[in-house]
Amino acid sequence: MSTWLIAHNTFREAMRDRLLVGVIAAGAVLLGVTQLLGPLAMGEGRRLTVDFGLSGISWLGLLVVLLVGTSLVAKELERRTIFNLLSRPISRPSYLVGKWAGLSATLGTVVLSMGVGLCALLVVRGDRVFVPGVLQAMVLAGLELMVMTSLAVMCSALSTPVLSALYTLGFYIVGQWSYDLRLLAAKAPGLLHGLLEIVADLAPNLPLFNARTLAAGGHMTSWEHMGFALAYAVLYSGCVLGLAAAAFESRDFK
Amino acid sequence: MPSTDDRLTGRPAPDHPAPGRPAGDDADECAVRAAGLTKLYRNPWTLKVTRGLEDLDLEVRRGEVMGYLGPNGAGKTTTLKLLTGLHKPTRGGAWIFGESIETTSSRRRIGFLPEQPYFYDYLTGPEYLELAGRLSGLGGREASDRARQWMGRIGLGAAERRRLRKYSKGMLQRLGLAAALIHEPDLLLLDEPMSGLDPLGRRDVRDLLLEQRSRGVTVLFSSHILPDVEMLCDRVAIVLEGRLSRVARVGELVSGGPHRVEIRCDGRPVVAMPAAIAALLTRIERPEETAFVLEQGERLDEVLRWMLQAGVRLRAVTPQRSSLEDLYVAAAQAGVEPSRDRRPA
Repeated sequence: MSTWLIAHNTFREAMRDRLLVGVIAAGAVLLGVTQLLGPLAMGEGRRLTVDFGLSGISWLGLLVVLLVGTSLVAKELERRTIFNLLSRPISRPSYLVGKWAGLSATLGTVVLSMGVGLCALLVVRGDRVFVPGVLQAMVLAGLELMVMTSLAVMCSALSTPVLSALYTLGFYIVGQWSYDLRLLAAKAPGLLHGLLEIVADLAPNLPLFNARTLAAGGHMTSWEHMGFALAYAVLYSGCVLGLAAAAFESRDFK
Repeated sequence: MPSTDDRLTGRPAPDHPAPGRPAGDDADECAVRAAGLTKLYRNPWTLKVTRGLEDLDLEVRRGEVMGYLGPNGAGKTTTLKLLTGLHKPTRGGAWIFGESIETTSSRRRIGFLPEQPYFYDYLTGPEYLELAGRLSGLGGREASDRARQWMGRIGLGAAERRRLRKYSKGMLQRLGLAAALIHEPDLLLLDEPMSGLDPLGRRDVRDLLLEQRSRGVTVLFSSHILPDVEMLCDRVAIVLEGRLSRVARVGELVSGGPHRVEIRCDGRPVVAMPAAIAALLTRIERPEETAFVLEQGERLDEVLRWMLQAGVRLRAVTPQRSSLEDLYVAAAQAGVEPSRDRRPA
């Protein structure tokens, strides 16, 4: 129950933040720009709309994670609002999970509103065939942001907002390159090989959540892939939050 | 295996009961019981250990109001943070109504007001109180109803729609107190509840605390405003340099000091005072009167007899009770000089 209350409060805080309105407005502008650039795309206007639209969802979602998620716990520690919560019968893991769930719900709302806008645009353009693929890519983008939020919450619980943002961005970059890291590890000698393998194993497997190219071509990804991505996101987020809770448990609040 | 603290200090752990079980048979009589409660901080870079609180043995009985006094950085806030789970003890333990402070459920019966409470700017007063109530175990409707009642009780009924960022400091302090009380806790832990309040605000908080006392709520509060402590508390505990210095009833403390008497006379009496009497008195000249301060109250009869015989016109004879402030200052001065291994919470 307390987890739900914390999640609800986090969602309410994020939704009342003007930043979110700005992000959704930026998404709408981005879709408008794709329509202006469409005639210059040599017949690839549909592809451009889908690709830009889905990329916009991912990038703007990441922006929310970096600006809001990385200060989610650190800000409460800095401003001491956490005293009012954790002096009540709430466990620290419940608090962290609540924070993560609240921001994930917020990101879900952002993804949904921008995704609905993109789908509506495609329907108006008469490109209904792209809609199922776009919906799948949208769900995967939401799962990717859920994973990134768990990392942001972990960093935020252990560090300052600025450092948390840097660490989270680092995780994102390494995560996007996790396939390339494996390729590099295969060619690397001895110790470096092992090191790169470990980094690739620990980094989030973010390419798993990228179905933009398929959606832009009007194709759908398999349901097996969707199920695997969902299971991976839940498991990875759970492990990260477990680590964060373990470290947070012994922390003294100044 | 040595405890964390033993590793930090290298000293053997004292013989205190293990955390997780109440100490002694009278645990039920105590709202708060601390045994050897210690908090040490270690700088992760220099590994230097600093003391926040050391070997606190303290009992707060059910239904009593205890003042927790000490200079800045003495360990008052550290104690309250340990009791509310915001800090983890390094050694020793404490129990709230028999439940170890290391369990989440021990906080179910606590209402806590931190020093200079901070709030979520984006919430309104009733939203914040409702959240506080629900987090302390109230149902949705009950929390909502009580939030509105409390907004009225603390005089913020007209500010119900206003976001907290627009509240004044006094309004926030009152809201914090309402948040601590909304679930009708059995124990109130208040860190400087009157700091920053104007006289009217202080009076409101004092009245609220008196009301809680009459309801049988146990209160432990730290304060620097000694007249309030004197007025509200049954007992006071004085903490200095992270160690408990003294626990006593307020009455005992103020009546245990020296009995000084002030004798006020009309005008400026010119009398030849015998040396034995003169040695007892300190003369203070005032515009309309002269006051003699007698430090040894037990010799009042002798002094008054002589004054009446000498024709001195007496205006008033007033026993001067030692104030809590005098005793507090004396205790603080008797304490060790501030050491460098102290750290405020």
